[in-house]
Amino acid sequence: MPQLGKLALAIALILAVYSIVANIYGTRRNAPDFVVSARHAIWAMCAMVTIAVVVLWISLLHSDFSLEYVAAYSSTTLPTVYKFTSLWGGQQGSLLFWTWLLSIFTSIAAFQNRRRNPEIAPYALAVLAGVAIFFLLMLNFVTRPFDLLATVPAEGSDLNPLLQNYWMAIHPPSLYTGYVSATVPFAFGAAALITGKLDDGWIRSTRRWAIFSWFFLTLGNMFGARWAYEVLGWGGYWAWDPVENAAFMPWLVMTAYLHSVMIQERKDMLKVWNLSLIGLAFGLTLFGTFITRSGVISSVHSFTQSGLGPYFLSFLITVTLAYTALLIFRSKQLRSPAEFESYLSREAAFLFNNLMLVGIAFAVFWGTIFPVLSEAVRGVKITVGPPFFNRVNGPLALGLVFLMGIGPLIAWRRTTTSNLVRSFAAPVAIGVATGIVAALGGIRQWYVLTAFSLAAFVIGTVLVEFRRGMNARRHMVSEPRAKALVNLVAKNNRRYGGYIIHIGTIVAFVGIVGSSFFRTEVKKSVHAGESFTIGSYTLRFQGLEQTDTPHLESATALVEVLRPDGREITVMSPAKLFFKRPQQPATKVAIRSTPFSDLYVVLAGIDDSGQTATFEVFLTPLVFWLWAGGLMMVLGTVVVMWPNVRERAAIATALSRQSTDARELADAAPGGD
Amino acid sequence: MRAKLTLASSLVFFVVALFAFFSPELSNVSRETFAAENPTNSQVSEGLTCQCGCGLTVANCNMPTCGFSVPMRREIDRMIGEGKTRAQIIAFYRQQYGEKVLSAPTTEGFNLLAWTMPFIALVLGGGAMVLAVGRWHSHQPSAPSDSNPATPPATFDPELRRKLEKELEERR
Repeated sequence: MPQLGKLALAIALILAVYSIVANIYGTRRNAPDFVVSARHAIWAMCAMVTIAVVVLWISLLHSDFSLEYVAAYSSTTLPTVYKFTSLWGGQQGSLLFWTWLLSIFTSIAAFQNRRRNPEIAPYALAVLAGVAIFFLLMLNFVTRPFDLLATVPAEGSDLNPLLQNYWMAIHPPSLYTGYVSATVPFAFGAAALITGKLDDGWIRSTRRWAIFSWFFLTLGNMFGARWAYEVLGWGGYWAWDPVENAAFMPWLVMTAYLHSVMIQERKDMLKVWNLSLIGLAFGLTLFGTFITRSGVISSVHSFTQSGLGPYFLSFLITVTLAYTALLIFRSKQLRSPAEFESYLSREAAFLFNNLMLVGIAFAVFWGTIFPVLSEAVRGVKITVGPPFFNRVNGPLALGLVFLMGIGPLIAWRRTTTSNLVRSFAAPVAIGVATGIVAALGGIRQWYVLTAFSLAAFVIGTVLVEFRRGMNARRHMVSEPRAKALVNLVAKNNRRYGGYIIHIGTIVAFVGIVGSSFFRTEVKKSVHAGESFTIGSYTLRFQGLEQTDTPHLESATALVEVLRPDGREITVMSPAKLFFKRPQQPATKVAIRSTPFSDLYVVLAGIDDSGQTATFEVFLTPLVFWLWAGGLMMVLGTVVVMWPNVRERAAIATALSRQSTDARELADAAPGGD
Repeated sequence: MRAKLTLASSLVFFVVALFAFFSPELSNVSRETFAAENPTNSQVSEGLTCQCGCGLTVANCNMPTCGFSVPMRREIDRMIGEGKTRAQIIAFYRQQYGEKVLSAPTTEGFNLLAWTMPFIALVLGGGAMVLAVGRWHSHQPSAPSDSNPATPPATFDPELRRKLEKELEERR
């Protein structure tokens, strides 16, 4: 069986190389059969990688410890779901999973473009296959998932206990999907540079891919934060770990890209900037992989050091240099007749929004690599942790939120002062009122007051936009309010879906600010029957329950939560887990979440008699709204991506125009290539 | 005018209601934060990085058997009891473990670059953007002085046609 996996990966590598040769030869020699053959090779490559994945999955499910990978990341007692997720629990398996996603996305892109984008699609597919070749080379020659052990152990070493959590089935696949799918718009951007077809065709063709990637990066970051919140037991959800940063940076850059492409689509400007942003987003996904697998920067997420670092760094440098060279080579063609009339315009707001997003991405990047710089320059190891990132990004986040409020309400080209006053009067009033009410409510921190005021201002601008659109519809087609609202969103899904995403972002921002500034913490050791208080809650320790399974032992504390009047609200069950292989303790947190605050109970210790337990309890306000905001962002993205007949017609027109242009060009050309 | 007032007043009502909902909880917790048990321990241990490999601060490392953060938090408690300040305790650990134990770079020497570079980059980026915008502003296409507006162009500019088509599609 493992031999089949090995063989499949070797054939996949050959097919990927062939697809590049056939695509480029077929396009340059005007031999469509080769282009078709290249497409088939891509699909066959995907089939081969799928076979390798299935082989590894079967080996994991059957606990085939003759495979080094299975022996290292699974065991006979590991629950089936985690045997399944072990595919991406270790170095080789996760690279295979990455390659599998890439081959699937490349196959989908090949299918989508079988009759469109005849000039750039073959080159884009060649770039995608080029990236696949790098990963397949790693899997075939450097970090092989199908290596066999000389002596087969009776039992495997098991999956890291921290990864034995249901989020393991959700978070890595989401994040990987976001990372890998960013390769598609990057490949089309690179193909546009290679072919010189530099209009917005490549953006229109890959818009859904870019949103898809952004969507999964959002999910990946949110799920990662939730996983950390539920598992790590420190009451927080974001620790600015280098690998968290590596997932956050591409999200920031993709967000900037999704805004700035609107300017190119609308005004044919910012071609260099958009190509740079998509190149940067892809580069950052590689950077994230490099960080996780190189051991250059220490992180709780790192895989065991494998010597992959230099390969990833070389690939990252090669891609960056090649892409930059292409940008320079095409710089004259990328110049466009830019029109910019006023700073009081939507394009100006988008430019500043891009500045802030890329500025935050740079601050995160800088903080992430600064320990390496410090060691290289001074020979001194330092740590750049949460205090740095919070202090640097805090003010930038306020600027970004302010711009989120400005953008939607000002017009393209220019806005008159009277329009500005009319549009912003209500949102500014809401923002100011919010600040005053918050101050009267007892909030004194300037950052929180500013953040809440700005958040209310942004929500105000979005509400005004919805109201304006709804009234326009009611006026034009005499619809009742609710129907007008639904039709408004349905017929302008990109725009209003975007506003829903804005609301979600702001709601999440409020959750982040509230939970960061107002957390209360109590640590208590109590005997069974004793109680202690936090906020308005009284917690009574009832006793411990012990369980023992072949896989783990656990001690669960039963904690009764009471209101001030003594009525029971619920019984919470934080636990300590002791995994048997590898022998490692872990914490199971108990969380009671309400829109006001989360009660977060950690069983920090138990004495030998089992009668005294130490609890660490956090009361964190508004953290609920972080997850609620994430859900709204998901909903907004679904609205944005919902198939829109008008948009399809626009793409079809753009594509038919491209084909016409291509035909005219071919007719005008004196000969073939 | 009346409609505007209704809108503004309903929005203000919405905000007030929202904060009537949130603020008692926030202000309650806000006061609690300062009354929390051992707040100084958290303040000190937030400034120190755990060296067990978890990547978290000493305050946040929750490994039950951590050989670094668990004894360090106890030691911090003891030093607070002895009346030492946050700065003194952090200086003590810095001397013992080196700069890597601090959870953020210091604000001296080379480390100043860590703090200032993001803002320098932002200012440079903003400056570059303003310059670019200024150039676009000054290079705006204007009608040539010798052109005759009464004479229509012989052929419709394909670029203009493309833009027009795009705008029409978007409005359709």
